[in-house]
Amino acid sequence: MLQSFLFIFLLLCSYHNAEANPRYSDPDGCLSCHAYEGLNFIDENGVPRSATINGEHYASSLHGSVPCKDCHREVVDYPHKVENTEVDCSESCHIEEPSEGVKYSHDVIHDEMDKSVHADGWYKGLTGGNRLEEIETEQDPSCRRCHSNTLYIAEAQLANFKDAFDHAETECGNCHQGKAWMGQFGGHILRRFVGRRWNNIENNQMCIDCHGDKKAMSDVKQEDRETLEKHPPSERFIQSSESYTKTLHGRLIDANSNFGASCIDCHAPEGWKHEIRSYHDEKSASHPDNLGETCGQSSCHSYTKKPGNEGFTMTDMHDLSLLGLTNMENPLEVEGLSESNWFRSAAPILLISIIFALGSLIWWLFFRTDKKIIAILGGDRFEQVMIGRKGKKSKGKKSATKKPRAKKIPAKTVTAEVKETEEKVENIQATKEVKDASAVSDNVISKADQVENKLNNKGEVVSEQKRNDTIKPESKDDKGV
Amino acid sequence: MRVIKNIKAIPKIQKFRYGMILLASISLLGPLAFLPQLVGNDDLCGTLCMRRFYLYFPGMTWEDFFVHVNAAAIGVMAFGLILLTTLIFGRMWCGYLCPVGGLAELSSRMLNDRWKIEFRSLPQVQIRYGYFGFYLVAMPALGISACSLCNFITIPRLIEAMSGEYRGMIYLVSSVGLVNLGLLLLLGVFASKGRAYCQFLCPIGAADSIINRIGAKLPFAHRIRVAKERCTGCNICARNCMCGAIKMVDKIATVDQMSCMSCHECVDVCDWNALAWTTPPKHHINEPKRIKKNTEIFPLPDWQAVHIHSKKEALEGETTGRAVPQVNWVSVFNAMVLLTVISVMIVGSFL
Repeated sequence: MLQSFLFIFLLLCSYHNAEANPRYSDPDGCLSCHAYEGLNFIDENGVPRSATINGEHYASSLHGSVPCKDCHREVVDYPHKVENTEVDCSESCHIEEPSEGVKYSHDVIHDEMDKSVHADGWYKGLTGGNRLEEIETEQDPSCRRCHSNTLYIAEAQLANFKDAFDHAETECGNCHQGKAWMGQFGGHILRRFVGRRWNNIENNQMCIDCHGDKKAMSDVKQEDRETLEKHPPSERFIQSSESYTKTLHGRLIDANSNFGASCIDCHAPEGWKHEIRSYHDEKSASHPDNLGETCGQSSCHSYTKKPGNEGFTMTDMHDLSLLGLTNMENPLEVEGLSESNWFRSAAPILLISIIFALGSLIWWLFFRTDKKIIAILGGDRFEQVMIGRKGKKSKGKKSATKKPRAKKIPAKTVTAEVKETEEKVENIQATKEVKDASAVSDNVISKADQVENKLNNKGEVVSEQKRNDTIKPESKDDKGV
Repeated sequence: MRVIKNIKAIPKIQKFRYGMILLASISLLGPLAFLPQLVGNDDLCGTLCMRRFYLYFPGMTWEDFFVHVNAAAIGVMAFGLILLTTLIFGRMWCGYLCPVGGLAELSSRMLNDRWKIEFRSLPQVQIRYGYFGFYLVAMPALGISACSLCNFITIPRLIEAMSGEYRGMIYLVSSVGLVNLGLLLLLGVFASKGRAYCQFLCPIGAADSIINRIGAKLPFAHRIRVAKERCTGCNICARNCMCGAIKMVDKIATVDQMSCMSCHECVDVCDWNALAWTTPPKHHINEPKRIKKNTEIFPLPDWQAVHIHSKKEALEGETTGRAVPQVNWVSVFNAMVLLTVISVMIVGSFL
């Protein structure tokens, strides 16, 4: 019984192996030598190199289904020479896409890379030789810096990918029939859609690996766009990754959220993601003129494309002033104290607290016994508006005497009225002989003199009003006279 | 001893209210922040943000709106819940739970009255909706982040700073943080009764009070209501009202439902039971409890939430020079324009 089970188990195992085998096929027979471990040699630069190819690793790589000779075309003889083994992907094409019938090439990427700020990197027409020649001290990155072809499908996405791969036959296969599609491309395309290696966090990590190293970044030589002179990098460039992590985008990504925009999302938003240009460049996605479009591509800020929202893009995504704030040791040192915001904010607080303390002292000394406490500002208005009580001012002073004073009479009308009274006074003087009312007329003359004096020195309006008040009733009396 | 006496003198419902505010503050803010941490947040921003989704951006479509709603789903639900409870029970969130306004109020109440500024007599509705319009439309359109004047950042950050957290310190020392701290001190701690920020600047309060006013007419809505015939005009309620919602009109207390937070302080303080937190009366207006020999005894109170003055009364008010509690919407518009200009100048000076 047990034996028969074991037999069936072994049979199943062997069946499984038989299924998996074709993936490691090697039609050119390269692996018959290169599969040996320890196939090492020393190249012309004196660098030890390994020619061993792990068949399993290669098969699970992106190019796993591509036979060696498709790319290493120069290799015809056996044994082959070392010199002509290099691959130039930008020229040669290895796979024909079945729907278009066009052979695939990395030429597009090559062109794009040429335009970007990383153009000086070691890519040499995308040859396969850019592995060990890539030196650590090189300023610009090579292809391999970013595209290390290990474990193409992220572990987190593996379950997703497997699920999609199982259903590819029924879903994609409805239209894309045939072995060429499903065999060669199904997995490849699904990897792109589902099993994508990089999420935003890993994307950023890729950039930060280099740009986060401030020491290395301060050694970078930037090129002036007009004079083409090389100059040391700006502080903004050196601190770029640090200042990014202080923004909301960076903080979201720190918190494992995919909502935060990654470096690539803003600097190379569309297409092949290789065209990272300087923000001075007008074609750059991060150029101020293009920011509306760049920010607007995401679902979070889709309205920035629309007119009227230009202000949205004013936020600085590499704000250096945020960095100073994070430097918490500085304000605690005596020398840095006077320059810090702490110091500046302490000044008004100190002033307020002095007023506070003094006020408390005064209150304690003089007004301690007062029962009613009124707010220092606006208490009177509250009484008037909300409670409906007449305010303290109008209550304290007699309203009857105040009312006419409150009426503001413009200075011009005052003088005009004064002139009128003068004329009237003159009339009275003319009719002086007629009547014997000497007391009244004397009084009026003295008033007229006063009026003249006051006309000469253009005094305050209030004093003129006062005169007017005093004169008015008498002039009325004159009318009666 | 005096302090204990003062605390003992606080009415029971107010003690409960203060307790609720403290409880909400502990669970929503600061180093503990129990509730935000349930969704992996440590402040009230992000998915918990109740405000950002209704900000208008030029050219904003419904799709954008729903994206915003989606991004802050929990905050939107909380906001909806607040409005729903407001519709039925009055502004319970604002008065009883909100840690942002509540903490400012509590700290203001601990301060001696002589230091406070009286904001309650200012035209609340005009300023509130003037700023609300600015916050809703002008700030995002000008590219100023509406978060920069949001008190739902300021208070959590302040608590964080006090508990020695690094992020809160950073915020408070920045210029935006200092402006917000100034606003908090001026309109919160040093304001009489400490609710000036809620009255003037809080966008949630602005949306909430509209619902409060709309719901006041509904038959099931609990509101602070006045029985006119019981009011003696002693004005103690108006003095104690923290929102400045009660105004003495013709020596009778009237409640402005655009500002009232249903905090019950007026109910506790009124000696004549002229104020109550109830639904509209089921009986007919001024129906006597019993009639004996043509004499009405114990007339049932007519609990009015909204005092609408007829045109005749309004005219009388104009001729007699008395204020009529009606909102002049032209002045609201003027306030919007004025505040926008002022705020643009202020905020622009920081940029």
